Amino acid sequence: MAPALLSVRNLTVAFDTRRGPFDAVRDVSFDVGAGQTLGVVGESGSGKSVTAMALMQLLPDTATLTSGTIAFAGPSGSRNLAALGEREMQKVRGREIAMVFQDPMASLNPILTVGHQIMEPLRLQMGLAKAAARARAEELLALVRIPSPGDILRAYPHELSGGMRQRVMIAIALSCGPKLLIADEPTTALDVTTQAQILELLRDLQERLHMSVLLITHDLGVVAEFADDVMVMYAGRTVERSPVQALFDKPGHPYTEGLLNSMPPLEDEDPEVLQAIEGNVASPFALPPGCAFHPRCPYAFDACRQALPPFAALGEGHEAACLRVPC
Amino acid sequence: MLIRVDNLAKHYPIAGGFFGHRTVGAVRAVDGVSFSIDRGETLALVGESGCGKSTTGRLLTRLIEPTAGTVRFDNMEISEMDAGELRAARRRMQLVFQDAGSSFNPRMTVGALIAEPMHLAGASAADCKARVQELLPLVGLAAEHTDRYPHEFSGGQRQRIGIARALALRPDFVVCDEPVSALDVSVQAQVINLLTRLQREFGLTYLFISHDLRVVRHVADRVAVMYLGRIVEIADKATLYKAPQHPYTRALLSAVPAHRPGAVRKKTEVVGEIASARAVPSGCRYHTRCPYVMPICRTEEPELTELGATHSSACHLVQTSH
Ligand SMILES: Nc1ncnc2c1ncn2[C@@H]1O[C@H](COP(=O)(O)OP(=O)(O)OP(=O)(O)O)[C@@H](O)[C@H]1O
Ligand SMILES: Nc1ncnc2c1ncn2[C@@H]1O[C@H](COP(=O)(O)OP(=O)(O)OP(=O)(O)O)[C@@H](O)[C@H]1O
Ligand SMILES: [Mg+2]
Ligand SMILES: [Mg+2]
Repeated sequence: MAPALLSVRNLTVAFDTRRGPFDAVRDVSFDVGAGQTLGVVGESGSGKSVTAMALMQLLPDTATLTSGTIAFAGPSGSRNLAALGEREMQKVRGREIAMVFQDPMASLNPILTVGHQIMEPLRLQMGLAKAAARARAEELLALVRIPSPGDILRAYPHELSGGMRQRVMIAIALSCGPKLLIADEPTTALDVTTQAQILELLRDLQERLHMSVLLITHDLGVVAEFADDVMVMYAGRTVERSPVQALFDKPGHPYTEGLLNSMPPLEDEDPEVLQAIEGNVASPFALPPGCAFHPRCPYAFDACRQALPPFAALGEGHEAACLRVPC
Repeated sequence: MLIRVDNLAKHYPIAGGFFGHRTVGAVRAVDGVSFSIDRGETLALVGESGCGKSTTGRLLTRLIEPTAGTVRFDNMEISEMDAGELRAARRRMQLVFQDAGSSFNPRMTVGALIAEPMHLAGASAADCKARVQELLPLVGLAAEHTDRYPHEFSGGQRQRIGIARALALRPDFVVCDEPVSALDVSVQAQVINLLTRLQREFGLTYLFISHDLRVVRHVADRVAVMYLGRIVEIADKATLYKAPQHPYTRALLSAVPAHRPGAVRKKTEVVGEIASARAVPSGCRYHTRCPYVMPICRTEEPELTELGATHSSACHLVQTSH
């Protein structure tokens, strides 16, 4: 693997809610190689977005990063982002690490034009003059395949379709040429052709600027095509880490296997009822003991209910936290 | 037939001039679409980002007024309904929003959000509460989630709240706008299985808007393909996936990501700039990107023409060969 640009170790994030505290992210560790893409997949609610927000220090007030280090090898040497103060972090955000949020409507300001919102970081972070910022903003919109970019600069977010908003967010994230792009479901609102074009654009930027991407997505097709490595999350924890090919060939964790089997076929016989993993995700307030997946696991045996399974190696860079994996 | 749409259009004015007081053009978000949906049927609506799918869904549920055209719901013209009739009709048709998170009032608990449509329809507090407890497990959420606020949920969990809310009043017709795109594939499978089960049990009718052509292949009876505000092809599912006729439909199908890494996928056939609803090309709207463009395509807009009992396409190429 390429030398890591980002190395996260034992990240734990706790929420303090009216119902009491709970850990949304538990002891998560991963690397993102320079110029590489790490795909993050997992159960809805498993802590993917919270992990991303923790990296950017954009957690809500009710959340705290209770442990872990985030080593980022930026232009000015390696630093532990978890220990940076807000002033320093502001310099990292946007310029060195940029993020595309999962909910574009919630992250765009409804009362400001799209143009204003794209031009602001260009002017503040990159120091461009107004005219230059406008020209660059139009260029960026064209880059993410938005038609009539001049008109769209004058439009308000509610005047755009879901996919257009998502691409505006991508344009803003790319505007300062970050070393690491954290993209939380960046193509969910895009049709397959636009999605293919956006992914090609990202791949191109990745090669030219040596940008790394942390790609959170539910779309296993996108992971298959775009990621180098994959991390699978379940109930706040990493359950599997793997190079992309190996994950699809030989999933090590039963949850991963269940996910891969849930994908509707494109060419084969269409089943009457889609395969889904039985049962529901555990409540974070009442996690089952041992492996959190055991109540839904078709292979669970007694030991799975006792203690947290350690990671076991399946191959080069491939490991899963499951007792069934032969050590 | 539960829904019948004729020549439906929605244009938004584009403000221009120094003070933005002058109208300098129009966004032709939806530009003359006609289709019908049978009771108990699922019609899927697919197409490029910005082609007018959500706008069509909003027009059907009367969240916005059309610029032209008509929508008939259960044999009644929606625009001719009086306030009482419209209220009754609205109760029978619901919309699952594309951007579920931002459509919620952040100050309402999940229980209140799901109960809101029932509450507005005059249901008692006890009935609302009972129904919420019934709906939560149906969409894969726990009963204990009732008292939490929307921001405390992940994107996929919020989407399921939106689905529960839409189902609260036991509607006949549901517009599902990207209902499962925020869900992991396993929860997605659960929600789709739920939607199809409800359809079987209660004869629900769906307009299913989705980018995921795998999901569409599973849920739809018929599929309509939209391009820049128009339907360019509509067919029963088997025909559309096996023998697509419109060049845009074929391009769309070729762009579905492969199942496995390294699998060779046909190179994306879609080329060229995405056209804009703010400057619709003359003739066939797809001519600027079509690899088979002929002179007539630049000047004349092709009509949606029947190719078979359940298959129509709007393409000069197809029409000349038939
Ligand atoms: N502000 C908050 N307050 C309390 N709990 C929260 C908050 N934000 C998230 N959570 C909880 O933290 C857990 C992880 O949420 P997160 O948004 O990271 O999930 P996710 O993996 O991104 O899911 P999805 O795929 O649905 O987007 C969930 O149980 C969620 O309900
Ligand atoms: N309130 C509005 N004012 C002006 N233009 C609008 C408004 N709402 C939508 N539009 C425009 O109408 C067109 C169609 O938008 P719509 O949301 O229906 O697209 P969509 O097919 O749902 O796309 P997506 O797949 O990205 O969600 C777009 O060009 C959009 O910019
Ligand atoms: Mg998320
Ligand atoms: Mg839409």
